[in-house]
Amino acid sequence: MADLTTKYLGLSLSNPLIIGSSGLTDSADNIIELEKAGAGAVVIKSLFEEQIMLEVDASLKEAYQNDMIYTAKSETLDYIDIHIRERTLSAYIELIKEVKKKVMIPVIASINCVSSAEWINFANQFEQAGADALELNIAILPSDEKTSAEKIEKVYFDIIEKVKSQVSIPVSIKMSSYFTNLALMIKKLSETGIEGIVMFNRFYTPDFDINNFSEKSSNTFSTPAEAGNIRRWIGIMSQKVDSQLAASTGIHSAEDLIKQLLAGAHAVQVVSTIYKNGKDQIQKMLGGLNMWMDENGYNTIEQFRGKMSQAESANPSAYERIQFMKYFSEIK
Amino acid sequence: MENIQDTLKSERQQAWREELRKSMKAKERTSIDRVKMLEQEPHVRNRNHDEVNLGLSEEMAVKEAQRCLDCVEPTCITGCPVGINIPKFIKRIEQGEFLESAKVLKETNALPAVCGRVCPQEVQCEASCFYVQKLKKDPVAIGYLERFAADYERNSGNISIPEVEEKNGIKVAVIGSGPAGLAVAGDMIKWGYDVTVFEALHEIGGVLKYGIPEFRLPNEIVDVEIENLKQMGVEFRTNFIVGTTASVDELKEEGYEAFFVGSGAGLPKFMNVPGENFRRIFSSNEYLTRVNLMHAADPNYDTPVFSGKNVAVIGGGNTAMDSVRTSKRLGADRSMIIYRRSLEEMPARVEEVKHAQEEEVEFMNLNSPVQYFADENGNVNKVRVQKMKLGEPDSSGRRRPIPVEGSEYEVEVDTVVVAIGVSPNPLIPASMPELDITDWGTIKVDKDSMHSSVEGIFAGGDIVRGGATVILAMGDGRKAARGMHEYLKEKVGKK
Repeated sequence: MADLTTKYLGLSLSNPLIIGSSGLTDSADNIIELEKAGAGAVVIKSLFEEQIMLEVDASLKEAYQNDMIYTAKSETLDYIDIHIRERTLSAYIELIKEVKKKVMIPVIASINCVSSAEWINFANQFEQAGADALELNIAILPSDEKTSAEKIEKVYFDIIEKVKSQVSIPVSIKMSSYFTNLALMIKKLSETGIEGIVMFNRFYTPDFDINNFSEKSSNTFSTPAEAGNIRRWIGIMSQKVDSQLAASTGIHSAEDLIKQLLAGAHAVQVVSTIYKNGKDQIQKMLGGLNMWMDENGYNTIEQFRGKMSQAESANPSAYERIQFMKYFSEIK
Repeated sequence: MENIQDTLKSERQQAWREELRKSMKAKERTSIDRVKMLEQEPHVRNRNHDEVNLGLSEEMAVKEAQRCLDCVEPTCITGCPVGINIPKFIKRIEQGEFLESAKVLKETNALPAVCGRVCPQEVQCEASCFYVQKLKKDPVAIGYLERFAADYERNSGNISIPEVEEKNGIKVAVIGSGPAGLAVAGDMIKWGYDVTVFEALHEIGGVLKYGIPEFRLPNEIVDVEIENLKQMGVEFRTNFIVGTTASVDELKEEGYEAFFVGSGAGLPKFMNVPGENFRRIFSSNEYLTRVNLMHAADPNYDTPVFSGKNVAVIGGGNTAMDSVRTSKRLGADRSMIIYRRSLEEMPARVEEVKHAQEEEVEFMNLNSPVQYFADENGNVNKVRVQKMKLGEPDSSGRRRPIPVEGSEYEVEVDTVVVAIGVSPNPLIPASMPELDITDWGTIKVDKDSMHSSVEGIFAGGDIVRGGATVILAMGDGRKAARGMHEYLKEKVGKK
């Protein structure tokens, strides 16, 4: 039996399989079950600013439709977003406290903090509630043609600086891959002193119903094919940054997990495969990792972590090849 | 509804109304400018607690009443939550029959002197006035005239007590003596019920007493209206907390057949920004209660309140205006409103904003507090505020405030009052788990009867709305009284 322990964000994990922020991690009961199933750590479902604003809008709509509430002159409704945010954050803090009482595995709190400076003040309260670490889920889709790349990048650094000044627990950032020079951005983020980087955020993808001309969501769950891009960037950056990297998106099997570790990840985050295959999938993946390590003579993860990263690779240029021409030209 | 329309029509056809209409041409009426309320001078009034508005003289009231066209379809009535027969009471003023005018008000409104002072008429009856709707002119000053008639009656000493039907021996309980509870009591007592109002505090009046400052609504005005209800037979029991002193079940055992819950929204809300627990940061409830109900500004009372020199009030509603204007009267050099939207979007009454501006209150719009700082004794000494800009409209149609990154700055303060709304009083819902409540802690009721999910329990006002106005609470009370009356008729009929 191999030793599957790993270090992530300076925390000791019994194995590198973390259940990512999702509906799987939105209650104490679920998290207890995930621990029993063998998860190495959990990221509690993110508190999204957008989610709170949607709830605010829904409440205001309800207030207008229901003439029992006098919207125009109500001080309470005037500050309804603050009250809803306060209520939601209180519930989140209670969840952290409850989970910390009931499980032994590391519990990572997660917040989305795109715009509001005051929002991050709550990071401090998450720490006080007992969170072992904090994941900043900064999901900015660079869709505004009036906002420069510098400005978008600055948001990341501002938020990190403010949060780091508020808390002493480890902090990671879950980032997107939409940057002009992704390698430089990851390097600069690492230099801020954050303990971990989660690569990458997976955005909602709009799709169309061509019969009804309506919008719909596509690809709710990730597929293993999506893991390739993550693997590339973990492989390129793992030996170049001090922050510990976690791979996220498209990791569905033991093989996917092993590949990310070989690329240099300290841990992986999984969600879709648990939704699809149930909590038993955790043991299947860990069993597969264990068997592979036994077969290859590894006793610890550190013995092979990063073995296939760009820095260690026999063919480092493969990581940077972006065209298939040569590959295809060799296929006769 | 048809009956009401028929009644209004036939009353309009009475000889005295027709005669009045003929006494002046419509053109003459519409050429009169809206009356201006007499007020204390701003620099004088912001140093005393006396009422700001001084009321109308008889001549002013009659002239303003002449502006009313006594419309065939009086749209103003539809804008009144308690359905006051507005043309009729105004025409009684034009006629010079001021006591009769007050009687008309009392047909549907248990607290006319209160409503004449604190109702947001500009968005209710006056907004529906023909002058606004069709002529694009200033509306008839319905609120001023309501106040005039009620004050005239009180000052005359000939206060009319509405007729009360023969006692039917059925006991009903009203929990809370705020505007909703008083409106229920006023109607139920008229219909012959034995009405007891249970009040948790030592004084009757609820938010009218603890929430609204005397410079806007003198306590003696409220007391006179309460005295009217007492004269009609309503019993008041103060220092009685239903749910603690006695439960609803215990009161049922005492013979109460139906209950109205009007326990209000007295639970303060805060923004939960760092430093909000420092000393001298008050909720508006606490700050105003100390001054209004506990007489902290009166040297004859020993209730303490800190009279800061630099006072910041957070919020843009009437409670914020009341708080900031109170701080001026307590001696502040600098009284500031910090509100995250623009001036146009403030939920406070237009008149309250105007009065505050005249009284040299500083308005720091599009600003929001993000952190408080304190001295070595833990007393607040600075607030860091962040500038805001207006983004896309939210579902209320108002543009959403968005923080401007990097725009924070600090303001010296020694007192802060947070006036960003209140939560429903949780005591009754907590003592009655079978009561259906919303996520907001408000009691769910049928919109027409105000009947809650528990048989015989009715509710209205802030405990249902989560925060509203005096007149809306009274409207709820009147609706609940009708619902309770129907319920009891059926219940007694079955016995």
